[in-house]
Amino acid sequence: MNNTKNTEAERLNFMEKLYLPEIAKGLGLTMKYMFKPKFTRQYPEERFEPTGSYRGRPVLVDTTGGERCVACGLCSRVCPALAIEVQASETEREKERYPVKFEINMLRCIFCGFCEEVCPEEAIVMSKEYDIVFTSQEEAILGKEDLLVPEEQLQDRLEYLAEYK
Amino acid sequence: MNVKTRKAVDSINKARQAKIYAELLDKDTSVLFDDPLKNDMVLNMGPQHPATHGVLRVVLRLDGETIIKCVPELGYLHRGYEKLAENLTYHEFIPHTDRLDYLAPMSNNVAITLAIENALGMESPERAQWIRTLVSELARISSHLMAMGSTCMDVGALTILLWTFVEREKLYDIFEEICGARFTTSYSRIGGIANDINDTVLAKIRKWAEEFPKNLNHFTSLIHRNRIFIDRMAGIGLMPRDKAIELGLTGPTLRGSGVARDLRKDVPYLVYGRLDFDVMTRTEGDVWGRYMVRVDEMSQSLKMVHQILDQMPKGEIRLNEPNVVLPKKSEIYTKMEELISDFMLINFGAAPEKGETYTAIESPKGELGFYIVSDGTGFPWRMKIRSPSTANLQGLSHMAEGSMISDIVAIIGSVDPIMGEADK
Ligand code: SF4
Ligand code: SF4
Repeated sequence: MNNTKNTEAERLNFMEKLYLPEIAKGLGLTMKYMFKPKFTRQYPEERFEPTGSYRGRPVLVDTTGGERCVACGLCSRVCPALAIEVQASETEREKERYPVKFEINMLRCIFCGFCEEVCPEEAIVMSKEYDIVFTSQEEAILGKEDLLVPEEQLQDRLEYLAEYK
Repeated sequence: MNVKTRKAVDSINKARQAKIYAELLDKDTSVLFDDPLKNDMVLNMGPQHPATHGVLRVVLRLDGETIIKCVPELGYLHRGYEKLAENLTYHEFIPHTDRLDYLAPMSNNVAITLAIENALGMESPERAQWIRTLVSELARISSHLMAMGSTCMDVGALTILLWTFVEREKLYDIFEEICGARFTTSYSRIGGIANDINDTVLAKIRKWAEEFPKNLNHFTSLIHRNRIFIDRMAGIGLMPRDKAIELGLTGPTLRGSGVARDLRKDVPYLVYGRLDFDVMTRTEGDVWGRYMVRVDEMSQSLKMVHQILDQMPKGEIRLNEPNVVLPKKSEIYTKMEELISDFMLINFGAAPEKGETYTAIESPKGELGFYIVSDGTGFPWRMKIRSPSTANLQGLSHMAEGSMISDIVAIIGSVDPIMGEADK
């Protein structure tokens, strides 16, 4: 038999054995907690504001001269979830290469931040967006127009990366 | 491709079930009854039972209310991580470890990177080591809080679960500020950590660490001298010292049986050799003992957190070895050499020399080890994960035999199995 005598219970004193004080204590706590401030957040009304360290949806940085991405394909190589697809092409601009097709499948993405970490152009960064909802599978595959976000909106993250990464 | 027909799958399933029941019904049981009831009953508990902490299936053979035999079946959450690792570079496998022991991902990240570093024959810089120690101790506290809460919930004290969740939530907020994610942290890197921790976060951790003992006291004062709680916990699910060693149990499950084995003390890794802490053991060997070890360990971890915050040095967070460690971001943007090594590293991976290494850490659940066989390329030839939950679950049959049916939930809770890790 893998049971023994309950020696712990023998160490209880008389008041503890009585059990009645415990009930009073429990009820007292219930009353106390009723008037304490709540720890939870009323989500859609009260939104959570992430700091620069937050890893939300990966986005492409959009500058005045177009996207920074040079379609090197490094992010798509490192992505552990195989979520990124890049197709390169050439342009007349200073950087010569740009992605004609850049897709992130948000159903696959695991928000690990590896794409941002390896990108040699700081072209893909993690934004603060966390409430991402799709109604169909096709919608979840984000193309370039969904991914491009103006640089100004990503300042927090870019500063964070420069300082701590 | 080898596709199995419906019939073949059915016959495999049938063979598997037959094996479980054959084991269940053998006569080699250690329990004797003066007045055995005639009707043995086979009860299937799980894989969806809320008290099995995930998808553990336990098949029980009952005599009245007494468990005669207990056969746990693992594998419902098997995702093939060991095989998956063979097709990923070492770097790419780091996020996958978040999903092993999903209650302490920080600890797993540290374990895998220590294993890779050991295989590569290098050591991370001082500050990275201190930060890694800090986050693994915070992970230990968060995991033990969850274990404490769910054990209490299993025996009927639901309030404690909600309270420990609040504390765990605060810790997750801290994790989020450290690395950007609450749950899937992916924080450690080969040769260091992903990003530095700033001083405001460190101050936040200290503030939390100062408040936590009061809250923990508040939790324990409600239940630890409560008659019903003690009656449900103490004296059941006994695991004798010798048997625990024989079965290869580790972590609090082993220390609850009075064996003072803790890799942090026995084989100090990271900076544990420089910290002052005690290995908590209990001699009871029952559910109460294992539960108390976890509660006591939280205080020890907290002590370590304070020491780490006091002694945290400044400095580099990643090694400056461009052919194995990812270079700093600012250097990738500006320097050609770093850029090239960034490309090389991502495409081919950091390649350890041919050979085998085994590296283990004391994760919240026990000894978490990675056995890496390298063939000299950037991909592991074989990676074996020695997960503590798998080993600890081997003790379940022994603990459960002879107990009452209602005690099985407390016993499973006291082993604290995490199925993501047990099934890999
Ligand atoms: S986002 Fe960065 S890593 Fe990805 S293809 Fe563009 S430049 Fe390369
Ligand atoms: S965050 Fe991770 S999973 Fe998502 S696209 Fe980037 S590398 Fe892939």
